[in-house]
Amino acid sequence: MRGIVRAGPPSVHALGLAVAGLSLLLAAAVLPLDAPPLSLFACPFRAATSLPCLCCGCTHAFAAAVRMHPLDALGFNPLGALAAGALAVHVLWTALRLCGLGWAPAAIAVTSRFRVGALATLGLNWAFVVLRGGP
Amino acid sequence: MLARCPSCRSTFSTDRTGAQDCPVCGKPLVVPPPSGGGETGPESPVPPPTEPPPAPGTPWERRAELGAFRAWWETVVQALFEPGRLFRSARLDRGPAQLGFAVLTASAASIVEQLVEYFFLRNLTRTLLQRLAASGPMAAYSQKLAASTPETSPRAAALLMLCTPLIVLVFVYLNAAVTHGAAALLGQARRGFAATFAACAYACAPLVLLALPACGSFVGLVWTVVLTGIGLQQTHRMPTRSAAAAVLAPYALLCCGACALGVLGGMAALRGAP
Repeated sequence: MRGIVRAGPPSVHALGLAVAGLSLLLAAAVLPLDAPPLSLFACPFRAATSLPCLCCGCTHAFAAAVRMHPLDALGFNPLGALAAGALAVHVLWTALRLCGLGWAPAAIAVTSRFRVGALATLGLNWAFVVLRGGP
Repeated sequence: MLARCPSCRSTFSTDRTGAQDCPVCGKPLVVPPPSGGGETGPESPVPPPTEPPPAPGTPWERRAELGAFRAWWETVVQALFEPGRLFRSARLDRGPAQLGFAVLTASAASIVEQLVEYFFLRNLTRTLLQRLAASGPMAAYSQKLAASTPETSPRAAALLMLCTPLIVLVFVYLNAAVTHGAAALLGQARRGFAATFAACAYACAPLVLLALPACGSFVGLVWTVVLTGIGLQQTHRMPTRSAAAAVLAPYALLCCGACALGVLGGMAALRGAP
């Protein structure tokens, strides 16, 4: 299976995801972490259990990633940092496809092995965030 | 439309007919026109034998014949009271229409909510927050909220209203992406992202309740989660339990993980105890 395949212009969902991703990345770049609205984000899970949830640290990871501090971003939440990177790649690739690039990433075949790997990755990421204590 | 790759036999959703590559195995194939134009060569994909006839489309997807307001109203009423019928009639190749419905419905209701809050309920909200901030388990958080409330100038309020459609778009795509990820992890995302997106977009219909002060937001959000489950069941044709699991998994995962960690931590503490 090839990782990149020939494709036409991006679909409406590819465009929608690119707009949503660009908005998130711009918000992470522009909004300060210690002022409203981002400072108002409170994790109810953490408040109830004193443990960080799976997504704790993602806001800090996005902010660090768009400021080109990849190691800090990975330290806050590894999957959050990877998601920020994946969104940036998707935005850039969609823009290139709009300009005429005739290639796109192939769809991932979700096999049972892939599912087990994804669940293990989520578990490891959560263990990392819990052991690190969150942002 | 849906097509099947003759090489890897996987079904996928595509926006166009003609020569293209399979998104799963990458091999070239030809998608025939929906009218069944007669391409029956070895490279021509055939519709899956279990695939039912194409859906007629929701009222919103037929708004050209019904009129925009009537189509919107009928879609909202069907979503609230006949969700199974609505999701069964949704067409997976009408992503732009579904996105438009979600953004229009949730944005309009949210802007009405913001206007009501700004002109009629601002002082009441501030008083309530100050009382909550005085004591209780939410005191610290309420203090933060109360401190940020006076900063809502008319210009900031207008800017927030202008940004509302973009915020709704981000919400719809984030919700669809997380839900599709959960469905894929459960092995139930049989008809691609377009099916999940249709479910999530029409599930935004109860967000019209955002316009109601007080409990409207809470009721609307809970109803949206329930409708997303019904939508996944119909659009992906998955069992009810799988649809419920796909919608609730992102929330349940957190609780189960916490319980597991709590149990492990408790066991470790007991082992270390004298």
